[in-house]
Amino acid sequence: MIAASETTNPQAQAYLPDFCAAGAVLIIVLVATLIAMVLTLAARPETGAFLGDLGQMAMYVVWMALLGTGLLCKLRSWIERFGKTQAFVIAFLLLLLLCVVVAEGTWQLTRAFSDIVIISDSHVGFLTRTIAISSIVIALAMRYLYISSEWRRSIVLEAQSRISALQALIRPHFLFNSLNTIASLTRSDPARAEEAVEDLADLMRANLGSPKNRVTLKEELEVAAIYQRIEKLRLGDRLRVRWNVNNLPMRALIPGLTIQPLLENAIYHGIELLAEGGEVVVTGSRSADDLEIEIRNPVAAVPNRRKDGNQMALSNIRQRFDLAYGHRATVDVDESPLHYSVRLRFPHEEQVA
Amino acid sequence: MNILIVDDEAPARDRLRQMIGEAAEHAVVGEAGNGQQALQMAEKLRPDVVLLDIRMPGIDGIETARHISAFEDPPAVVFTTAYDEYAIQAFEANAVGYILKPVRRERLDNALRQAARLSGEKLGAVAAQTGLSGQRAHVCTRRQGELKLIAIADVLCFVADQKYVTVVHSNGEDLIDDSLKSLEAEFARHFVRIHRGALVAINRIEALARNVDGQLEVRLRGYGSGRPLPLVVSRRHVADVRRRLKGR
Repeated sequence: MIAASETTNPQAQAYLPDFCAAGAVLIIVLVATLIAMVLTLAARPETGAFLGDLGQMAMYVVWMALLGTGLLCKLRSWIERFGKTQAFVIAFLLLLLLCVVVAEGTWQLTRAFSDIVIISDSHVGFLTRTIAISSIVIALAMRYLYISSEWRRSIVLEAQSRISALQALIRPHFLFNSLNTIASLTRSDPARAEEAVEDLADLMRANLGSPKNRVTLKEELEVAAIYQRIEKLRLGDRLRVRWNVNNLPMRALIPGLTIQPLLENAIYHGIELLAEGGEVVVTGSRSADDLEIEIRNPVAAVPNRRKDGNQMALSNIRQRFDLAYGHRATVDVDESPLHYSVRLRFPHEEQVA
Repeated sequence: MNILIVDDEAPARDRLRQMIGEAAEHAVVGEAGNGQQALQMAEKLRPDVVLLDIRMPGIDGIETARHISAFEDPPAVVFTTAYDEYAIQAFEANAVGYILKPVRRERLDNALRQAARLSGEKLGAVAAQTGLSGQRAHVCTRRQGELKLIAIADVLCFVADQKYVTVVHSNGEDLIDDSLKSLEAEFARHFVRIHRGALVAINRIEALARNVDGQLEVRLRGYGSGRPLPLVVSRRHVADVRRRLKGR
């Protein structure tokens, strides 16, 4: 089994921004200064003492912010290894720890070197206030970064799925073979040739439609059936398809062009390489909230198949499922020496009219 | 010219037959639906040209062509393909004839006019460039005039006598035309030379043991009756055999 949501693009994987970049450091210094201003204003400084107080406060806050930036800059790749949510939690804890260390250091330093009292607070009180304020600020910052990374990820995913939808347009191998079949039928069986041209036109139209949109299962199965009809002309009795899909609610929605490419894979990598042909079995089932569709085909025992095209259609469907359903959908592959099957599992949703 | 059509899809064969039938100078002598059939028919019907589809179940077009090219006085081969960018690049690079489907009249005429015999090396190069392994999945033999294919997976060893190479496989023994040297080069990944005249399938070796004369011998799995084979490992090859056995 292969896990469903592997993101291949490294950009989509970066949750935290690049803290080593000069632009990021500038923004952090600015934000830290603003926070220092807010804190100083809130402390109700005596008249004329504002700038002095701000200076001290800014010194304290900017130090923390810069050290935190440096820490995340160094540790980013390590932190991200833990996965998305964990990465943010770890970053939060690390920064908080850093603030405590800086606060304690500041306390000790001011006590050791200054005659005048800069911090008019008890040791515990000072540390507690620092922890409280910095945990709120850091939590807000993490929340902001989390949301913007989600946003970036969805943009990347969408772009990828749009590109791969273009690539997923019917396999040239199929197109040219079909045209060859039609060329042959125009003489021997013009009526069938006509049907084949109509089917091919319908199929192309479905392929050219916006692949992002979801269609009803009924429509998707129709496209697959048209595809099957064309392949049947070419492969004759070698191609058999069994549709066990009566359990499926035909009004349910599915990302367009998912079943047809999988059927195409089953034929291209399976049936076509079997001298006696074989049977592709499409099985649908439903549980409380989910629908499941499995496409299963026999494969030739000889290992002389190339797998590149297969991977492309699959990763394309994965991306589109990921975009449409997030983690609520899975695409599993099950491979044995004599069989290959892909199982789609996705939430049962219907069009709200 | 006499032409043999090989394609696993009936409509594709029909189309070629229609087109060739319209030209007076050509005749279709036979049609085959897969590689095995193609080899037998090519052997029996002796066509001048074989039109060969690449993507077929069982033995694909390129391997079929390699067996055909090993015939005595082999026919010319022209490949047909719907779409395979790797194959087309390889054909161009090695000046191998091909036609794209849907087949065009002029293109077919051209290809037939220029059809040429293909050498084994050329086809080997094509196979390697198309991402296939470059080694055949079968060796070809003639038994009582009948052409037969032996799957490499069934082969225990190749043994060279003075003149011929004998292939020992799960179902017996046969003579083949390939030289031991070319077999060694082609199947180096799965076979190891144990002495000057024998190549042994590595995964068939059960044990390496000394015989009564104190010589090292390989014992093969799945070799039951049959004549005793001279499978002594020569001193020169001992180290190599041991290394390959460890690495399997």
